[in-house]
Amino acid sequence: MKRFNRFGMCAAVAAFAAASIIGCGSKSDQTTTGSSAPSSPSATSSDQGLTGAGSTFVNPVMTQWTADYLKSTGTAVNYQSIGSGGGITGLIGHTVDFAGSDAPMNAQEMAAAKTPVIHLPVVIGTECIAYNVPGVPAGIHLTGPLLAQIYLGKITHWDDPQLVALNPTVKFPHATIFVAHRSDGSGTTFIFTDYLSKISPDWKTTVGNGKSVKWPIGLGGKGNEGVSGLLQTHSNSIGYVELAYAVQNKMTYAVIQNAKGKFVSPSSQSGSIAADGVTIPADMRVSITNTPNPLGYPITGVSWLIVYQTSPKSAELKKFLTYVVTTGQDATTPLSYAPVPKPIQKRELKLINTLQ
Amino acid sequence: MSFASIHPNPIRTLIRKTFNAFMTGVTTAAALFSTCVLLLVLFYLASNGIHSLNIGIFTHGPTPMGTPGGGLRNGIVGTLILLGIASVIGVPIGIMGGVYQIEAQGHFAFIVRFFTDVLNSIPSIVIGIFIYIVVVLPTAQRHPGQGFSALAGGIALGIMMIPTVMRTTEEILRLIPSALREGSLALGATRWRTMVSIVLPAARAGIVTGIMLALSRIAGETAPLLFTAFGNVDFNVDLHRPINALPLDIFYDATSPYEYLHHQAEAGAIILIALITLMSLGARWAVRGKGWQSN
Repeated sequence: MKRFNRFGMCAAVAAFAAASIIGCGSKSDQTTTGSSAPSSPSATSSDQGLTGAGSTFVNPVMTQWTADYLKSTGTAVNYQSIGSGGGITGLIGHTVDFAGSDAPMNAQEMAAAKTPVIHLPVVIGTECIAYNVPGVPAGIHLTGPLLAQIYLGKITHWDDPQLVALNPTVKFPHATIFVAHRSDGSGTTFIFTDYLSKISPDWKTTVGNGKSVKWPIGLGGKGNEGVSGLLQTHSNSIGYVELAYAVQNKMTYAVIQNAKGKFVSPSSQSGSIAADGVTIPADMRVSITNTPNPLGYPITGVSWLIVYQTSPKSAELKKFLTYVVTTGQDATTPLSYAPVPKPIQKRELKLINTLQ
Repeated sequence: MSFASIHPNPIRTLIRKTFNAFMTGVTTAAALFSTCVLLLVLFYLASNGIHSLNIGIFTHGPTPMGTPGGGLRNGIVGTLILLGIASVIGVPIGIMGGVYQIEAQGHFAFIVRFFTDVLNSIPSIVIGIFIYIVVVLPTAQRHPGQGFSALAGGIALGIMMIPTVMRTTEEILRLIPSALREGSLALGATRWRTMVSIVLPAARAGIVTGIMLALSRIAGETAPLLFTAFGNVDFNVDLHRPINALPLDIFYDATSPYEYLHHQAEAGAIILIALITLMSLGARWAVRGKGWQSN
């Protein structure tokens, strides 16, 4: 009898885990009936749910979608906001069913994916230039070239004459600008650098655009969450985050001068206007930064969900993606995003139907 | 009979005594410092997190981002499941490996011990990458979208348990008096019977302590879970699907910009520490007063 006690601990741990599974399992939304064989095809696939990863830009609305989708259909969609770069890597490695990205896959990534992928715009988002400077009110005016100079490290203080000239009524402190950017492969970075490359030749030649670039200065945060966190904990800081993060956390952000010289605040509306009238190619890969529309916000981007044309879970993907580009669009505006324009939604539904 | 009494030199004695007092002070300060750090951590967590602890933390999963509320249920259950899988892998292999070290004291045993120590010192993130490459990616190739799983996370943690369990088992078995073993063998018991019925039960308390050490170490691991267990926003007990864990929750919540998530991270930290303490106490209680090594 004595010798069995030795196993008491392992048994206790296992029992502890098992008990908690049973205890909480009753609350589980997913009911797995029949055999628990997980990899048997199609028959049980509806119990499998979907796994996605990528963009943190889309995460505030994505968590809303997945929660609503679970409630209405019972299908669990697990989305992890690890950054657009991570999502695309996951899609290429087949570790996820879909990737979220605010940068379209580039030629190299498409080649690595081997089989064709489909890009589906799911939301239009504006990227605000948020700052945390004691005594400086919300809505200071900034221009693209000025922003480029700040991120190039050429404007180093908040009371720089150029900033003061743009905002004569604001009393800036003589403090070093703490520049925050993303540390991970990020679609938010892609949109931001895409914009700066269009507006500043200097930026284009020295830094360029991409999901991760060689930053001349600044400190990196992981995800939109991380950059927002950096801004809140560091005074005199500036950073770029998706508008939903700034709104939810009551951060102050700047009004940006667009291509037509108008100063525009980021919002669901100004983002929607920026996307308006843009010709979107058949493969849906498009850049909408630096819009020519006088009422559009210049640092606006598209967030895509990317899936393989053929996938063993195509039936579930079709259902979820259809939900996202139709019913799900209602959730975008309350979270400060803009919905995908109606004609695009129609084209997307056609694309979704080609999944197999 | 010290040299000082043979050659009394008051200045030297003074220097020696001063140095003695100085070093006593420094070492005491170092000891106090480490205690203070622990107390500060506990105090900080208790004072900040205690308000965040409520029943909802245990019964709810995360809410949509930016919507206050929700809880850590997924992470708590996930951590228990991961620890369970890790134990199933790490405990038997660790104990049997420790027994091997004692029983087969050859050249090879020495090599095994060396490699065990090396394994012990490998950063946890490397174990995570290893499992990502040998388990997650190949699984995903065969079953697209199913690479990340509770199993992969459990395997990563289980591997991390092995060296600790193995080395403590070995050290404890070494402490068992050989008279005990010889007595059993003299009575005609086989080596197998002696090990299973005499030596291992006698070392029970020490082995359990080793297992608890290993479990406490892995319970707080975040890095190897990032690309194995992956995390899950939905409640999940299917071992073939991604699963959440408390350290992952703490990591994401603490670095998020949301105030309510910061509180959840603090509550999560308290729960994690309480979980480890409870398991440890439970294990001590289960083996109380038994075995040759009394606690």
